[in-house]
Amino acid sequence: MFKSVIYKEWLKIRLIVLIALGLSLLALINIFLKVRHDILFVDAANYWYSFLFRGRAYFMVLKFLPFVIGLAIAIAQYFPETVNKRIKLTFHLPVSENGVLIRMHAFGALVLVVLLALVLGLFVAGSAIFFPSNIIDASLITMLPWFLGGLATYFLVALVLLEPVWLFRGLYSVIAAGFVTFFFTSASIGAFKPVLLPLALITLLLSCVVLFSGYRFRKGEM
Amino acid sequence: MIKFSRYILVATGILVASMVLPSLYWTIFEKVPRSPGVYYSCMNDDFIIVDGGSRLSPDGKAYTSDEYEQLLPLMFFRQLMADGTMPDSIRGVKMETPSISRASSFYRYTPRKLDSPVITLWPMLESESGKVNLAMPDDYFRIEKRMEFIVARTNKINEEKSQLFTEALTAEGFVFPADIIAGLPTTRKSHDEGYFITDSEGTLFHVKMVKGQPYVARIETPEKLDIVYIEAVDLRSREYYCYIVTRDQGIYVLMDEVYDLQRLPIDGFNPSQHSFRLNSDLFNKCITVYGENWYEAIAIDDMYDVVGTHGEKWESLYERSDGKIFASIFPFEIRMRDDNSAFVRFFFKPSPGYRWIIINLIALIVAVVLIMRRGWPLKSNIPDLLITAVTGIYGLVATQFFPNKFSKVKPPSKT
Repeated sequence: MFKSVIYKEWLKIRLIVLIALGLSLLALINIFLKVRHDILFVDAANYWYSFLFRGRAYFMVLKFLPFVIGLAIAIAQYFPETVNKRIKLTFHLPVSENGVLIRMHAFGALVLVVLLALVLGLFVAGSAIFFPSNIIDASLITMLPWFLGGLATYFLVALVLLEPVWLFRGLYSVIAAGFVTFFFTSASIGAFKPVLLPLALITLLLSCVVLFSGYRFRKGEM
Repeated sequence: MIKFSRYILVATGILVASMVLPSLYWTIFEKVPRSPGVYYSCMNDDFIIVDGGSRLSPDGKAYTSDEYEQLLPLMFFRQLMADGTMPDSIRGVKMETPSISRASSFYRYTPRKLDSPVITLWPMLESESGKVNLAMPDDYFRIEKRMEFIVARTNKINEEKSQLFTEALTAEGFVFPADIIAGLPTTRKSHDEGYFITDSEGTLFHVKMVKGQPYVARIETPEKLDIVYIEAVDLRSREYYCYIVTRDQGIYVLMDEVYDLQRLPIDGFNPSQHSFRLNSDLFNKCITVYGENWYEAIAIDDMYDVVGTHGEKWESLYERSDGKIFASIFPFEIRMRDDNSAFVRFFFKPSPGYRWIIINLIALIVAVVLIMRRGWPLKSNIPDLLITAVTGIYGLVATQFFPNKFSKVKPPSKT
């Protein structure tokens, strides 16, 4: 039964995942072609200098990519369920209502995590050609909030979409928008280091909030 | 699990509200805080306080723009020379442009400098290349388990140079890794003095490259200093190399060539809270230490002896009307950014006093009324009421945005 549920989820998001993967690869290729080009033109030492002392990050293209991917996967996965309240069919399956929602959600989150981890992995591999570990570490500290932000976006958009009452969808959106904004606060390279762990913990906790609107949906809250 | 997920949402709501609402409040109501600049005049041996548009003597006498410039001839010598009012000599010293500008310098320390991301790769310039212009090297060094030079073009370690410098450091008793590395990684300076580095035991070293060879000097301090920050400066007077800020032993300057540490005559300086400005001219240095709502200015002569002091205190943020009203509405605020830090953190700032209790009580009453109007039992809403009582407006907003309708599972007993 759960295998079929997972397969249904995959059918919903596979196109988005493929597009996201394609976009990510394009972004990464763009980043490293540009780094290579700039290093040829301004010399590697100067290029490192602009990163270290002028705070010029070469990976800004990636800033909103996790946000867009998180948003897209959440919409692809949960929006169809709200049309004509289709998710009610799922809830009528002879399995625990919470259990089925948790599995749907965990699958979506897992796909997102794998996708984002792949992007980060390829980014590190590419950066290692041009830069030493010091620059890569600082880059990762700068980028991790954006990637956590992508996950948080997925969790919160799922919450908003499954909420049955429009008024509350609006209210949740306000909080969600305010919260997701934190991850994208502009800051100098490495400035997010002290909050990475708290942000990661909060994001982890947010993974289960979809149950709240799922519950309200099931109980026919209007 | 579902109840738990609701409390996570409520907590998130409180977090967002306690950041957004205060920030909105400050954007609308915050008043411009005072930040006076203090100078020391070599003409009347007294301080001049520049605050907004006004220039005042310590006893409150206002100076005109012309008087102000004439009192600070070493700062405004270009203007005074153009006006023809520049004195030929002051205190028996002939006034000449090169000596005036060589002696002039300005430095500012803020707690933000202490609390910011650390740079771990630095360029080691050649100090005595024999060329007029300084040049950037093609490699960068880091000091971890050893000192390593990484060539930027190849992204590979230059083993030979790394070994040379590591051995030179080890020979002087350097204990790896480095703690603080401070230098001026730029070619836009009068000359290169390399880096001032503390090792893992807090000992201070001067490291530079002279004709391709390492130069390492271990700097002995009269007492063990708990150094938290070093900033190298490029003084044309070549009086000292750098400022050394300690946790609670004050601020030192490291004298050029002789490596003597000169302590600046300021006490009670807390590098994580206080700022510090130093204005230097031919005769005096004017040092000003700033707290949140006060400053202490100290003028010293060229022998670092105190020649004058002046201080002022004004209303702090929460003594001003905007701060008072804030502290009556909000029990606390959370900020991602703080003026005293370059890092992003959750800065938790409790409001002083207990005036916010009234608003918290009102929020609590509103919450009770809302619950009763919906016919929910108060008993099953006790956690919400507690949250509202403690966090006030934030809790009210969060608990109403994410309503507690679990009572629907078991209908209220009165039905």
